[in-house]
Amino acid sequence: MARSTIYAGLEIGTHKICVVVGEAKKDGSIKILGVGHAASRGVRKGEIVDFDKVQTCINDALVRAEDRSDVMIRNVYLGVTGAHVESINNRGCYRLPEDQLEITEDDVEESKEIARNVSIPQQNVFLHSVTRQYIVDGQEAVRQPIGREARTLEADYHIIHGVRGRVQNAIRCVREIPLEVEDVVFTPIAAAQVVLTREMKSQGSLMIDVGAGTADYVLYEDGMIAASGCVPLGGDHISNDIAMALQIPNGRAERLKVEEGSALFDDVDPDDMLRVEDDTGHLIGEAPRAFINEIIALRCQEIFELVKDRCEPWMGKLGAGVVLTGGCSLLKGIDSVAHEVFQIKVTRTGSAPVSGVTATFENPMFAAPIGLIRYAQILDSEKPFLSPLVRLSRKVSEMLGSIAM
Amino acid sequence: MVEFTRNPGTPQGAETLHSCIIGVGGAGLNVLDRITLDRTMEATLVAMHTDVRVLSHSMAPAKLQLGTDLMRGVGAGGDPDLGREAALFSREEIRKAVDGHQIVFLCVGLGGGSGSGAAPVVAEIAKSTGAMVLVVATVPFAFEGRRRIRQAEEALELLQKRADALVLFENDRMGELILPKDGIQKAFSSADQLISQCLRAVSTMVTTPGLVKLGLDDLTTALSSSEGRCLFGFGEARGQHRGAEALKRALKSPLIDQGRLLHHTKNLLVHVAGGEGLTLVEVEAIMKQVGRNVPDETQILFGVAVDPKLGESVAVTLISSLGADVPTRDAPRPSEPVSRPLTRAEADDLAPPASLRKPTPRPAETRRAAPPPAPEPEPEPELEEPENEQVEETPAAPPPLPQRSAPVEARQEPEPTPSPEVASTDLDLFGQETRAPARREPTPAASTFPDEVELPEPLEDAAEPEVIVEAQEEVVVIEEEVIAADIVEPIPETTAIPVTSRQPEREPEPEPEPPRASPTKPAPNRTLLSSVIQTNGAKAPSDDMFAAGEQDRGRFKDTEPSIVEGEDLDVPTWMRLKKKMKR
Repeated sequence: MARSTIYAGLEIGTHKICVVVGEAKKDGSIKILGVGHAASRGVRKGEIVDFDKVQTCINDALVRAEDRSDVMIRNVYLGVTGAHVESINNRGCYRLPEDQLEITEDDVEESKEIARNVSIPQQNVFLHSVTRQYIVDGQEAVRQPIGREARTLEADYHIIHGVRGRVQNAIRCVREIPLEVEDVVFTPIAAAQVVLTREMKSQGSLMIDVGAGTADYVLYEDGMIAASGCVPLGGDHISNDIAMALQIPNGRAERLKVEEGSALFDDVDPDDMLRVEDDTGHLIGEAPRAFINEIIALRCQEIFELVKDRCEPWMGKLGAGVVLTGGCSLLKGIDSVAHEVFQIKVTRTGSAPVSGVTATFENPMFAAPIGLIRYAQILDSEKPFLSPLVRLSRKVSEMLGSIAM
Repeated sequence: MVEFTRNPGTPQGAETLHSCIIGVGGAGLNVLDRITLDRTMEATLVAMHTDVRVLSHSMAPAKLQLGTDLMRGVGAGGDPDLGREAALFSREEIRKAVDGHQIVFLCVGLGGGSGSGAAPVVAEIAKSTGAMVLVVATVPFAFEGRRRIRQAEEALELLQKRADALVLFENDRMGELILPKDGIQKAFSSADQLISQCLRAVSTMVTTPGLVKLGLDDLTTALSSSEGRCLFGFGEARGQHRGAEALKRALKSPLIDQGRLLHHTKNLLVHVAGGEGLTLVEVEAIMKQVGRNVPDETQILFGVAVDPKLGESVAVTLISSLGADVPTRDAPRPSEPVSRPLTRAEADDLAPPASLRKPTPRPAETRRAAPPPAPEPEPEPELEEPENEQVEETPAAPPPLPQRSAPVEARQEPEPTPSPEVASTDLDLFGQETRAPARREPTPAASTFPDEVELPEPLEDAAEPEVIVEAQEEVVVIEEEVIAADIVEPIPETTAIPVTSRQPEREPEPEPEPPRASPTKPAPNRTLLSSVIQTNGAKAPSDDMFAAGEQDRGRFKDTEPSIVEGEDLDVPTWMRLKKKMKR
């Protein structure tokens, strides 16, 4: 089924809106054909608050991407995030009929059906349901149960769900461009496909995509996705903290953070003063660098602590440590704050190398949109004969489960 | 042999059958009507109520007015004590009606006067005649107020001691699952239908000789967690895949929630009934399918019966119960908003103009009002208080807007006040407006203002227009009392709550202050932060008056707050930290 296909991924971020066009080659490799991004307006904490502004920005990014890649984009894979996205693990147990010895495909379907049948809040919709593993007669971590002899079959599922209205709004916003949405993907899931290697996944690792509006995380344990979610805090909060502490405009604070900001304050000379200028370049004051750094460090620490709280059950099982990505991971010293919080190895990285525009995949800002391409490729390579509707819930899960190995 | 015991004395008609269904109170009567209409059960049907008007509309062949002398044909008005008294007064009649039956089904809507009060008495009498007593009860909606729920619980306790088996239906549950889609009429009638199905199924199950017999003991086991909710599903189907189809329908029952709730059950009773063509393969397939829906450790009580009456079709009955701790009571609230607009809309058709609803008080009203007020007013204020937030909106609307229609008020009024005057409060449980034999609400409208109102279900029999007018008028009066009594103090409280709950710690401090101050002293224990930032622009205000509020969230002030453990994460970390240290 493998053939060269062109995919487009669209991520509507809080800071930037990014369209990536990529080509999935026959041999499974990916070539990035073009990237278009535009500063984002009308997005707060990963969620769209102003349709018109966002659509203008998407158009900008789209035109740039089309220009560079020389591809006409009609369908996109849309990355969504937001504090409303939650995940649960569920296990569906199915007992085989007495007269049957071997597990058949129907039985697997049945157990999946049971596993998927969890109660989520009424207004929520499933984004992904990923098979983590099968358990055959208590034997864990079975990948392929069909044909085995067993009495009970259990399917372990990781289910990601979000508020229907919010997901729908993002889709509607994109449809009005007009662009067709192929699939909706929870951003960190996409990012993890390019940031984490298979080995890291099997050793156990926690990827945190610290963006402007949200910090999204995915935790892999033993090759299986174990936890995922979104903390509604990000780089914007750091800027806001600085802006409020120094009484300067947000834009200025943002620049200060990017240019001078660091999360290390212990070794900074207390007398090292930082000039604070307003937008026109007039000096509006000076602030001790250490003070600003401490503000940043406090916020970063908080973000990581929130993630850690949610991943507590797996904390001892992360052999490959914590992987930071996303635009905010460029902040100086953020890895040492993360190390302080998690007490394990912390690496900062962008997407794994793919061919194409080097600057793109090296920048962690683009991990998620490139991940969307990879995700699309995985999605299509598995069961291409299923209708897109069924694919959303069913196929996604299977292939993610299989690549998780 | 069986034949003999079943029909010993044919000439006497209804009396001779061995099971008997008694509907007590308004809700019970509604169910009874449904059973009567369906003509599905061979049983004596007896309607019992304190209110003679309601009784007169019942379709049941036998009617029994409770406490004729005591109540004088007026309802118990939501007072279970009155209901009990009335039932005790009519002890002999009840005994007569019940006597000679081996199984007595008792349908009752708990929470009101007649139902909650009389049902335990009836159950006890039935028990004393040596009959098996099976009670099918409904618990009032959560929005009907604490008091009604408490009354229901008390009655439930009494019933539990007396009944051999108790099937409990939660109105909340039924409303929640039916209402969103359907009109309220349908919701109520389908609730009735569900209960009548349940009754029918249970009676068939217990009475018909089965191949694999299920008895009352099995039923009791299935319903063992008594405080829990009853899970009941019934499906009947014919045709090619009748077994699977019937089970599918049974699982579709709202009380089972697509079979999901079965995952939590310990005991599950499955009864398969079919005509003479029922095959073993079908039964096996059904049971196999059932097995997939329940955990391994569930005890499945299995029964099969062949009932020629079913002909080509197969009926599957699932009965079980859920412990009270299983997380299902998550949405009692939603049902209220849904039901309210519906009621209003519907009521508009029935409603006479409000101005007409003020006939002069009748002597009867004063008489009726007289005895119960004593217990009534005191419990009310404190009882209602926790409920205020929700209850208050119901009565709050009517007084300023007289166009609110009478039926609406009549329906909703009992929630805040289980007031003595309302003739048949129990009725509210099951929607008197739901069906053709509608009673209280339509009746007043019809008789009082026959020329003005388009009645969907015209009531031919003019059932004592006098009394009806009086009832209606009473309703109005109570409404006003309630409002006067209730609304005054609760309002400030309820309005205060949302505000405080959002950011409790920050709320009291009134003075907003530029966050500029904060750098001056964000962390007393950190030397670094204590150094004052030197800027040209602003002066540093004292940090005492530091109030974190909306303005502290900076650019996020218009966004949805992200609150974790009571802290608004949009407020800068250092600000919150500082506040904590101060404390």
